[in-house]
Amino acid sequence: MKTISELTTFYYNKLHPTIEKLEDERKTIQKRLISFGLLYGVVVVGTAFLFFKTPQAIFFIYIAILFIAGMSYLYNYLTKTYVQKFKQEVMAPLIHEIDENLNYQPTKHLPEAHFIRSKLFASRPDIISGNDLVSGKIDDVDIAFSDLHAQRESQDEDAEDDFETIFMGLFLVADFHKNFKGETIILPDSAQKIFGNVIGHWLQANTTSHYELIKMDNIAFEKEFVVYGSDQIEARYILSHTLMQKLLEYKQRSKYPLYISFVGGKIYMAIAYYNDMFEPSVFHSLLEYKIAIQYIQTLHLALSIVEELQLNQKLWSKI
Amino acid sequence: MTTPLIILIVFIIILILMYNSLVAKKNQVDNIFASVDTQLKKRYDLIPNLVASVSKYMDHEKSLLEDITKLRSEANKSDLSEKEKIDLDAKVSKTLGSIMVAVENYPDLKANENVMHLQHSLNEVEEQIAAARRAYNQAVTDYNNALEMIPTNFMANAMGYKQKDLFVISETERENINVNDLFSKR
Repeated sequence: MKTISELTTFYYNKLHPTIEKLEDERKTIQKRLISFGLLYGVVVVGTAFLFFKTPQAIFFIYIAILFIAGMSYLYNYLTKTYVQKFKQEVMAPLIHEIDENLNYQPTKHLPEAHFIRSKLFASRPDIISGNDLVSGKIDDVDIAFSDLHAQRESQDEDAEDDFETIFMGLFLVADFHKNFKGETIILPDSAQKIFGNVIGHWLQANTTSHYELIKMDNIAFEKEFVVYGSDQIEARYILSHTLMQKLLEYKQRSKYPLYISFVGGKIYMAIAYYNDMFEPSVFHSLLEYKIAIQYIQTLHLALSIVEELQLNQKLWSKI
Repeated sequence: MTTPLIILIVFIIILILMYNSLVAKKNQVDNIFASVDTQLKKRYDLIPNLVASVSKYMDHEKSLLEDITKLRSEANKSDLSEKEKIDLDAKVSKTLGSIMVAVENYPDLKANENVMHLQHSLNEVEEQIAAARRAYNQAVTDYNNALEMIPTNFMANAMGYKQKDLFVISETERENINVNDLFSKR
């Protein structure tokens, strides 16, 4: 697989003419957005003065709501084609550069079934949205990932339609190279971090919603994650010392909470960025290194798991 | 009148809970050992096949092959204790390792499809044994801890529970089993 530096070179060399064109467009949109924004601001404040003669708290609330709602509509309206072009002309070639067999669908996302099957999140989502679906085969291993935002209706006392986020970030599914029947779920370890080993373990063992607690024999891994599973031996068959080490390294590279599960012959991974990835902002240039490297790194992180976790090294019995 | 009674009931409940947790830990160890045993048997079943395939080629390692055959027949005895099984497993792992290293010296053997298939099967069983051993060690550690820690140690003493042995996890097992090395021979 291509390295991050190779991809960065591709981004700045091959994609440069496209990005320059997009850059001009971005500047125009930015200017338009600012001038429309100022104009709209004057209108909102002006009408506010017409309705409320003396400034009260409600006066400022009125201004804030109208302004934010109007601006976000305006932003989406003005940037729509820019975002589309970015995805078609920058993201798609970048993904094909990593592997030409990969398929990129900017408006699609992974189906809800994957999210539920992964068993990573206890609550069932009421709404699933997302975009930037990448799917295909790397080294003969099926892999797919997308941005995903899972929400559920919250049971508020005032019975308003409020939505609570269950998960937001990158969700990934790939074939796993070992045979297994049971289910193994790896979650970020919060109990052990807060309460220390003894009480942490006790708390983990006594959460009823999950399977049996499985204590792993890698101290660093145990600190970072908590493992639940239906089978003590199978969980260790899947989580060999090598894989634990790799997952730890992966976690350190991703820098965000990492959820992993092994269900039905597949590995599911959820990286909780709490952000919609691969969306360009008109306030940042695509030529900025910081921005470019973020797209590249995120893509690379997701697609490198096949190589990193050696998912391509199929066992004899699975050939 | 009622206070001593309540204290007595609480005390009995604590005793019951302690007793149950000890039994659960012991059963967990037995349970997992049964799985280890199944995996070990799977490996023992592969041995005659392996010996048959390699003995034609290996002239200098006859003693190794005799050793492994002897170990296998020992392991097939029905009245072995857990400790004996654990010791046997360590010896078998070591001897099998030496045989696999020896195979490297015979290009014909390395290219033999039957041997290759056996190697892969052994490799996979080995991984499953490794997982089962690790699960067993964790269960034994939990059990042994309960035997030493207050207050369960008093109860365990009264129940006549004894500390159990751990499998020794070799350094090579902790290292990465590189499947690439195996496949590069194809």
